[in-house]
Amino acid sequence: MESASTNLEPLFAFLAKSLSTLEFAFNKLPGSAVIQRYVKSSHQNDPGRTLLELILVIFAIRTLLQSRTRADRTGKHFIQFSDKEVDELVDEWSPEPLGQPLSAREQAELAVVPIVAGPNGPRPKIASTGKTATNLASLNFTGLAGNENIKERAVETLRKYGLGSCGPPGFYGTLDVHMDLERDIADFLGTEAAILYSQGFSTISSVIPAFCKRGDIIVADRGVSFAIHKGIQISRSTVRWFDHNDLKSLEDVLEGVEKERKKRRGPLTRRFIITEGIFEKDGAMVDLPKLAEKVDMLVGSVAIGLSSSGGFCAGSQTVVDHQRINGPSFVFSASMPALLSVSASEGINILRSTPSILTTLQDNVRAARAILDRVECITIPSHPASPIIHMHIRAPPTSSLHPASAAAATTKPSNPTSPVPRDASTWDWDIETEEKILQDVVEEALVQGVMITKAKRLRGQETVEPRPSIRLAMTSALTKKETEKAVNVVKNAFIKVLGRKR
Amino acid sequence: MPSPSPSPSPMAINIASPSPTRSMFSKKRSKPPIASAASYLNALSQADARARTTRAPTATPALSLSSSITSSSEDTVLNESEHAYDPSNADGLTHPARPPTSEQVFTTVHTEFGHCANDKFRLTSQHALGEPLPEHVEQDPPYYILLSTYISYLILIVIGHIRDFLGKRLSPKYYTHLVPRNGYAPLNSDFDSFYTRRLKTRMDECFSQPVTGVAGRTIVLLDRISPDYNHTHIFTGTRTRALNISSYNYLGFAQARGGCADAVEESIIRYGVTTCGARLEGGSSDLHTTTEALVAEFVGMEDALISSMGFATNSAYIPALVGKGSLVISDELNHASIRFGTRLSGANVRMFKHNDMRNLESLLREVISQGQPKTHRPWKKILVVVEGLYSMEGTLVNLPVILELKKKYKFYLFVDEAHSIGALGPHGRGVADYFGIDPRSIDILMGTFTKSFGAAGGYIAGNKALIDRLRVRGHLGPYAEAMTPPVLTQVLASMASIMGVAVPSPASDAVSNTLVPTAHPGPASESALPSWLTLPPLLASGIEGRSRLRRLAFNSRYLHRGLVKLGFITYGHPASPIVPLLLFNPGKMCMFHRMMLDRATPIVVVVVAYPATPLVTSRVRFCVSAAHTKEDVDTVLRACDEIGDVLDLKHGKAEGGERWSIERIIASAEELAGSS
Repeated sequence: MESASTNLEPLFAFLAKSLSTLEFAFNKLPGSAVIQRYVKSSHQNDPGRTLLELILVIFAIRTLLQSRTRADRTGKHFIQFSDKEVDELVDEWSPEPLGQPLSAREQAELAVVPIVAGPNGPRPKIASTGKTATNLASLNFTGLAGNENIKERAVETLRKYGLGSCGPPGFYGTLDVHMDLERDIADFLGTEAAILYSQGFSTISSVIPAFCKRGDIIVADRGVSFAIHKGIQISRSTVRWFDHNDLKSLEDVLEGVEKERKKRRGPLTRRFIITEGIFEKDGAMVDLPKLAEKVDMLVGSVAIGLSSSGGFCAGSQTVVDHQRINGPSFVFSASMPALLSVSASEGINILRSTPSILTTLQDNVRAARAILDRVECITIPSHPASPIIHMHIRAPPTSSLHPASAAAATTKPSNPTSPVPRDASTWDWDIETEEKILQDVVEEALVQGVMITKAKRLRGQETVEPRPSIRLAMTSALTKKETEKAVNVVKNAFIKVLGRKR
Repeated sequence: MPSPSPSPSPMAINIASPSPTRSMFSKKRSKPPIASAASYLNALSQADARARTTRAPTATPALSLSSSITSSSEDTVLNESEHAYDPSNADGLTHPARPPTSEQVFTTVHTEFGHCANDKFRLTSQHALGEPLPEHVEQDPPYYILLSTYISYLILIVIGHIRDFLGKRLSPKYYTHLVPRNGYAPLNSDFDSFYTRRLKTRMDECFSQPVTGVAGRTIVLLDRISPDYNHTHIFTGTRTRALNISSYNYLGFAQARGGCADAVEESIIRYGVTTCGARLEGGSSDLHTTTEALVAEFVGMEDALISSMGFATNSAYIPALVGKGSLVISDELNHASIRFGTRLSGANVRMFKHNDMRNLESLLREVISQGQPKTHRPWKKILVVVEGLYSMEGTLVNLPVILELKKKYKFYLFVDEAHSIGALGPHGRGVADYFGIDPRSIDILMGTFTKSFGAAGGYIAGNKALIDRLRVRGHLGPYAEAMTPPVLTQVLASMASIMGVAVPSPASDAVSNTLVPTAHPGPASESALPSWLTLPPLLASGIEGRSRLRRLAFNSRYLHRGLVKLGFITYGHPASPIVPLLLFNPGKMCMFHRMMLDRATPIVVVVVAYPATPLVTSRVRFCVSAAHTKEDVDTVLRACDEIGDVLDLKHGKAEGGERWSIERIIASAEELAGSS
């Protein structure tokens, strides 16, 4: 007993010494007296509180130390297995194949995707037939594809900059020509600033999560494109949907959102309205003047109208600068090749100096609609001025993506928390059959020398399955006569194929 | 900012003495080398004051001690033929140190792709077969460095909050975008943006500096100054050519001259710059088919699919691979695009510790035995996603062990080769090539064309059925613009010149090696290229491609070993062309960046800090290129040596316990790089 205490003596001495050193060090810390006084008085007033605070501190430390990657081994769902059992389970487990092989239908679908041999433009050569066709499929609204000025500028740029930018914008990937294009776009659209992304598709799905965070509210059109759906999904914001291109419905939804906030007495959260200028899904046009006095963010693609590649977001300087740090696909991706940027700038130049391009385009759109609107067997949800023309097979009842018919169908408002519109239950088209008929139309048109395409969809992945359609893209590179001739071919193909069916 | 300034070490004094190799810079240093951080800061503030008082746009680039050399007219900066007659070569960048001998013919522009004829400075990038991959040990700095780093951040955060507090009351107009007004919530909350406003803005000088011209061996910076602490930048109109050890240009294909650029020019004339639309909706061209076939051949897979953006390749194709009921097991340091893609896919995600195979195995055992959360149903499938070469660490994936695990645990393996394709392996075919592993034992190989091929966009490769599935199910097929013809051609030309093009009849060309298409990794068959695309003999024979691969391997190892021998803490595998050098203190990042740029031969570097790295381990990341010559790497090492003394960065334990002087390192470069 005695020997034990003598053995422990140096330990006690050490403890006492280190305690006093600790105390000394603590006292030397600035502000320690205040803490000491606080703890003392709080303990005196309420010893229970000290215990509570101590537990809180321990809990906080534990939470901080807990690895986020560690599973809840202690959770009630965790089953303890021995190593042998785990080995057996591992042996038993057999995974599904990584990708299901394509079905015969899908294979056929993939096989008929048109491939252009050589340059694309108003009259490309189709690789499978070896013949040229009039192109109403590719997106070349302004006819800039193959423009000699642009080619010349692109080669010049290649000889100064090489091709790739070899870095993200933050790390020496920002070129002077990128800044020029950003300025050109901002000028062209009349905004304060603009920011360039290197792919059109990835632009919007990056812009949305840069601003919309968990807890924010997004009010979106039910007809927005797939890329916007993805952006909304990744932002984890609360979404409220309004009926496609229906401003009355938007107003109702906005009122609902405001009411909800007042009821909860929550703080003012950010609210965003997301819609499209011309909808990718059906070519309808938004009534922007009515919708808003001012647009904060304009997101667009450099790939389509300007015949280059990439996307942009234009807005105020603050909006743009914010994305330079927070837009995932801006920050983590290499900037676009210099020559594509210069090509787009040159495209803007050409559009400015030759406004007739846009009038030709409009003439062609009107000419096409004059023919197509009189075709009995199809419906067209697209706006009369839209250079993208979607065509559905007409079947009673008419397409409910069309606002006029949608309003007539029922008066009960849709559920704003669901992207599915109220009358989805009345949709009676059979996607597979319609796709097949439309594919026949596409092939019939190609035989007659006109290249068109179905609107391709990711069946099974879309939030709301859009109705199958044929999507024409008008271009100013064709004359009015050529457009009329080609559209007549499309019309006849429709009549022929649908006539056969009925 | 805590920057302890120790008395100059004997080594620093030693280095300051003139050395024979220094003579390659004909320009004399206007100031004596600065021995401590304090004296440097002092000089800096004087220069800063001068710049502020004059504010003339034609002044020498602001904040620069040794005035940077720039061309006066715009054209000479870019026009190499004029530049070649610049007699001064003051920055040591426009001409090689030794003039070429009569036998040596260089087809590249020295500022884009350095002239280096010495065959001693070549290595093969290959893993010693059968040996385990050495585990990466992260060296810790002394405690005072860690402590001062934390204190630095603490000070920055406290000052930031004080400034916010006072600023909101005294000058509210600077905070309008952070407070609610007219019934609109602020677009950006002051809490969310605190790090950006109060920490990053302070060092914005190091980021997003615009450049012009080719991002090759050298790069031309547009000089800028900030009159208001980095809120705005004013371009002075002058330019600085600097040694570029920052761009992803591993094989040096960022070139405005040469066979690849000629091919691209031809393609622009033939195809224009766009294919008008998405792949499935009339935007496909024969060039896409050709390129996809060549890419598949290059990586050794059955089929490949290309996309117009590297980020989107991950973010849009991963959701097509996995979904609800599947599990993605992801390395904790995987790139943002992978996280983006997995989040979109709806699959469950678990992470394992970076490159820690034991951790991965125990995780696999757990998830397979437990099944899906709550329901305990077995997973539909498990996809392990790793990168070949990690972009912030320079570490290599431990592929041999992962493949062993794959046999046992039956998961699918996705390797993101964004940085490793082209950069690793004796044939440049990436990390599988480096380890001598059959690529087809991996399920999916993904990579980008930005880094090694001087192009843009990405690819994903696998068996034919899987790639066809992705063509139909991937988000990009119907909705994203297709890759443009010039980019496709750059990929074709650069890839073919790495592979070499097989010549049909062996006796046809004396210059080219007779290459016969063999099994992977062999040369490309001649029919793999479009008929109009002809490469010059040096490229077509694969001689130049091979030399590029070997130069990159040498440069990577030499820089890595050199830095270690100098006493720095570095991360990563010595074969990696990404060489991170640890700085720790946030204040040292700006200093390092600026001191590198202020040298007689300006050097641009990339500094990265939180949130791209953990809070303490701020670092500078060197990206070595085949375009660099051995002298360029010498220059970088010399600069690091001097700055490392000033900024107190040498805290590493040199291998073998012995540090070398810079002169010894430069003299024994081959030995150093060759040591395993």
